[in-house]
Amino acid sequence: MTRFEYHKPHTIKEAIGLMGSLEDAKFISGGTDVMVLIRQKKIAPAHLISLRNINDFSSIDIGDGLQIGGGVTHSDIVANEFIQKRYSALTDAAGKVGSRQIRNVATVSGNICNAAPSADTACPLLVFDADVKIAGPKGERRVPIDDFFLGASRVDLVPGELVTGFHLPPFGQNTGSAYIKHTRRQAMDLPMVGIAVRVTIRIGGSEIGCKDAFCAIDSISNILRRLEDEELRCEDVRIAMGVVAPRPVRARKAEAALRGKVISEALFEEVAEIAAAEAQPRNSIRGEAWYRREMVKVLTKRAILISVDRVLRPDDMIHPDRLW
Amino acid sequence: MSDLTTVGKKITKRDAPLKVTGGATYIQDLKIPGMLYGGILYSKHAHAKILKLDTTRAERLPGVMAVITAAGVPNNFRFGIMKDNPPLKGGRVRSTRDEIAAVAAVSAEIAAAALELIEVEYEELPGIFDPLEAMKEGAPLVHEEMKSNILKMPWKLVCGDVEAAKNGSAYVVSDTFRTQWVTHCCLGTSGCIAVFDTGNNLTMYSNTQIPSLAQNDYFEALSAFGLKGRRVRIVQCVIGGGFGSKLDTYAYEYIAILLAMKTSRPVKFIFSREEEFFATSPRQCSITKISQGCDKEGRLTFREMEMVLDNGAYTSWGATTPSVMMMPISSLYKVPNIKYVAQCVYTNNTYSQAMRGYGNPQATFAIESSLDQLAEKAGLDPYELRFRNANEPGELTPQNFQVTSCGMKECMAEVVKRLDWKGKKGNGNGRGVGMASLIHVGGGARVYKSDGCGTIIKMDDRGKVDVMTGATEMGQGSETVIAQIVAEVLGVNIDDINVINNDTDVCPWDVGAHASRSTFVAGNSAMGAAKKIREQMLAVAAQNMDEDPAALDIKNGVVFSMQDKEKSMALSKVLRKVHYTPGGKMFMAEHFYDPPNENFNKEFKGNLSVSYAYGVHGVEVEVDRETGQIKILNYIAAHDVGKAINPMLLEGQIYGGGLMGIGYALGETMIYEKGRLKNGNFLDYKMPTAKDVPPVQAVIVETDEQAGPFGAKGIGEPGLVPTAPAIANAIYDAVGVRIRDLPITPEKVLRALQEKAQADTGRSGA
Amino acid sequence: MKREITFKLNNEERKVEVDPAWTLLYVLREVLELTGTKEGCGYGECGACTVIIDGLSVNSCLYPILEVEDRTVTTIEGLRAGSGELHPLQQAFVNEGAVQCGFCTAGMIMSAKALIDENEKPTEDDIRDNIAGNLCRCTGYVQIIDAIKTVAGGGRT
Repeated sequence: MTRFEYHKPHTIKEAIGLMGSLEDAKFISGGTDVMVLIRQKKIAPAHLISLRNINDFSSIDIGDGLQIGGGVTHSDIVANEFIQKRYSALTDAAGKVGSRQIRNVATVSGNICNAAPSADTACPLLVFDADVKIAGPKGERRVPIDDFFLGASRVDLVPGELVTGFHLPPFGQNTGSAYIKHTRRQAMDLPMVGIAVRVTIRIGGSEIGCKDAFCAIDSISNILRRLEDEELRCEDVRIAMGVVAPRPVRARKAEAALRGKVISEALFEEVAEIAAAEAQPRNSIRGEAWYRREMVKVLTKRAILISVDRVLRPDDMIHPDRLW
Repeated sequence: MSDLTTVGKKITKRDAPLKVTGGATYIQDLKIPGMLYGGILYSKHAHAKILKLDTTRAERLPGVMAVITAAGVPNNFRFGIMKDNPPLKGGRVRSTRDEIAAVAAVSAEIAAAALELIEVEYEELPGIFDPLEAMKEGAPLVHEEMKSNILKMPWKLVCGDVEAAKNGSAYVVSDTFRTQWVTHCCLGTSGCIAVFDTGNNLTMYSNTQIPSLAQNDYFEALSAFGLKGRRVRIVQCVIGGGFGSKLDTYAYEYIAILLAMKTSRPVKFIFSREEEFFATSPRQCSITKISQGCDKEGRLTFREMEMVLDNGAYTSWGATTPSVMMMPISSLYKVPNIKYVAQCVYTNNTYSQAMRGYGNPQATFAIESSLDQLAEKAGLDPYELRFRNANEPGELTPQNFQVTSCGMKECMAEVVKRLDWKGKKGNGNGRGVGMASLIHVGGGARVYKSDGCGTIIKMDDRGKVDVMTGATEMGQGSETVIAQIVAEVLGVNIDDINVINNDTDVCPWDVGAHASRSTFVAGNSAMGAAKKIREQMLAVAAQNMDEDPAALDIKNGVVFSMQDKEKSMALSKVLRKVHYTPGGKMFMAEHFYDPPNENFNKEFKGNLSVSYAYGVHGVEVEVDRETGQIKILNYIAAHDVGKAINPMLLEGQIYGGGLMGIGYALGETMIYEKGRLKNGNFLDYKMPTAKDVPPVQAVIVETDEQAGPFGAKGIGEPGLVPTAPAIANAIYDAVGVRIRDLPITPEKVLRALQEKAQADTGRSGA
Repeated sequence: MKREITFKLNNEERKVEVDPAWTLLYVLREVLELTGTKEGCGYGECGACTVIIDGLSVNSCLYPILEVEDRTVTTIEGLRAGSGELHPLQQAFVNEGAVQCGFCTAGMIMSAKALIDENEKPTEDDIRDNIAGNLCRCTGYVQIIDAIKTVAGGGRT
């Protein structure tokens, strides 16, 4: 029968101390993963150490880029206007996780530590080059998020350690981002495929021309042609894919193909193909491999376009769910 | 009677205030002193021999009061329409939902722990999961005592001469369509509490939709269990959703009875969500071959359909869905020549029973998709073809259905107008429109020996009315509709009506809440009883007021002369006068209404229902050609309901049915692998959420059905009958691909688009 | 080991002895006998168990009871005014036909209340977003959304 003791430390030090002294203990934040695992009898810890009452754990600090505390919930992310403007992909992702009820208690750090390949906020954190802040009995350390994911549901945490937050570097006005979650229904769903993109652009020609390209409801072909005309160049890019590998992964070859180049239709196709080839999707009851690979191609293109649009027209964006 | 005061009005649901305050008692909420909690152990394998079943450790667990297995079921008792379903399976298991042991314990936790202590050893046997394979000679038998896996339930309907008609047709189309298992997803899961009194009479607290038939099932069970002749009482708690899921009895109910007998204590079962998914019976899946033809003028000449139905391991109502499938097959549009054959085949899969529409959605998906194919071949607009063959009032269909009121053409016109059919058809650009029609029973359905419902009405001295009806309220609003009808006939305020509908000790017989029959049958029954009381009241009032009863009317609890409204008498005064007098009387009346419909004869022909409901759905979709995703831009659901007794509740049925139908068309499917359900939870079973609701218009068409109470006919099921083909047809209009097996997933659409692009390229030689 | 906790429930201070492994839903239904909040799935996937804690809608089936300590909880039973009058949301659900079988209703109303308390004038999109975690099989959601709309924009509740 389900029995556990429940502890509510008020500081990180206390939490780590408890973890060190108790036998068979697990950290719990929002509980939307841990309580489910317990109910499914997949885990049966004797102790749960709650991280919900740690002082100063839920702050979102801007200044040196973005610092997200270990107790920040998905709802906290959605409500933050700065994140929506500067780290849009993260808002996209956080807003689509589960339901409002889940978002209200589930923390980003908890979701990342659970390390499902479908974790929505993982891909945005990857494209923002986030650092994971860790505290443990031996002290504090930082790990780049790409190195934090070790494999299927495995992260770089040794027993006794917990994630105290994330640090995202600052990005300027020329950087835009997007996360597309491909689902079967419009809410309460896991992604079949998730794609996050961050681009930094530089315009050779006219900025107005580029903006106009997005204003008309036009085919992707025509938009790309205008961008090419105005020599819109991708200075830097990150592409991250979810649910197409045992862990969320960067499409590094696709990034290399796009970096430094002027955007054109031909380039787009090429980059999308490369990303799709880098993906290793599987068949499961949640989706077929061939389809997931197709979607990597389609959604990479769309995510790049949305990101560019967000740079050019930050106050008046095409909605991601508009069909092209 | 003059203008209506309650019928036709937006009256709020009688049970809503209790439900919004959290005060309604569902089976989940009910506790009986001394109650034990039951749990069931299910088979690990789809097909296996049970070599060893040891319950000793479970029995020894403190708090466990009883453990039973197949050995504890007396007299080889079996339930179900074919009597092939033992409540506990022993020796051999035939599906992953086979119940092999059950416990009763003092808490749900202990019951669950006890189940884990039961030791079972299996010898796995090869399972058969494809009905087409299971039909073949030499296929492993699911029930060894039978000679074949094909059920002895030969469904066959022949009208006219299909062969001749086929040969004489100008255009003929043929194709195969498949539909999937989907499930009801009632938010309130199944459950019951079985209690025996000191005389061994049984009370079942239940959320059944068939109180009278379940009562009968339990009588039979008690006889087999050595308790012949005892009373059975069914008390229905507030029901958290039905949709057909509670239209048959399940093994857990008989298990509850056995455990209650063994322990002499009340025993409660509540299904977990997981159990609700895999251990209740889903909608019948289907494989349909269909041919249809028409002449040069587009008049339908014949319709031929052949079905194979996966019956699963045991038999419930899924095997009888062909009886309802025959309805659209023979009578949707005017088709003079019909041939229909259906076979049900045992497999080691789950078994199906009733779900909203009861076979109609499956058959209509094939018929209405095929009809669009025929329209294309004949060079006709799909709407034109439908209009030319539309059903009309007064028709006698080949299956001998006597159509009375029929608003099919009016519904079609609504769809064409509101969808802007002419403007949107064939525009391409990834957008398209499609339509599909429906016929369903609207005046009861004689699928049992009786299609009746009884009502008893009594009134007290204050003018308050108690209406005891056999009709079940499961959220659809039968209680409110009955109250409206009685209030209207008696001329009293609806707040003075109290409906009692949940106790077989008090309520008269009713065959059950199915076939969209509650408004029509229970409504007519209530109306009949109310009219009798009204007559009694007017007679007494007439005496007291020195008037002719025919000159009186009643409104707002006041009897008045229609000529001189000042001449009046309060109803309560009438009631007290007649009661408090030597030789007095009180007003009571009953009426058992069994509609004058017909059972099918040996040829499956007969007027199944007193009236038929019609409807047409139209939908505009946008197809994302790169992802295969479907977006519904506009959905029009036009329904011929005879009369809307309560427009607000009626719209609720259309919206609810429509969204269930959209789920059926676009995303819901039960994923089975070798007989095991893989997505038995709300995350992986894609029931629509509030964000999945498209722009929808519910259009009510009133055709005044003479036989119905105030002109009404049924609406409970029609809402989801034509949704899938309407959407499939719209997708075809949009991008030229036809998906023939449900659900229409993005993968299927994208795959079809890719294949079409390749074929087109091939054709153009590029 | 059982412990006593204190928390505010429907505007009343409550002291309850609880087992740490219990969820809030279990305590509400089995210990406090407030059965208005329902269990629809037990996995946070249907919303039937939705209550409001410190102003936020949560699935009580996944909420560890000790986490409730010193917090403010509101359930469906706490919505009615002391006079017995229905909360505007409850009345709206009755008026607009938003209740059929009623099993999802308590959770649905709590989600709606949390939304309106946070945002006086939610758009239809906001409403759908905030009730997306409440599954309903009967109504098709249309009349539910209409009911919430009639209250939204009508001032503080």
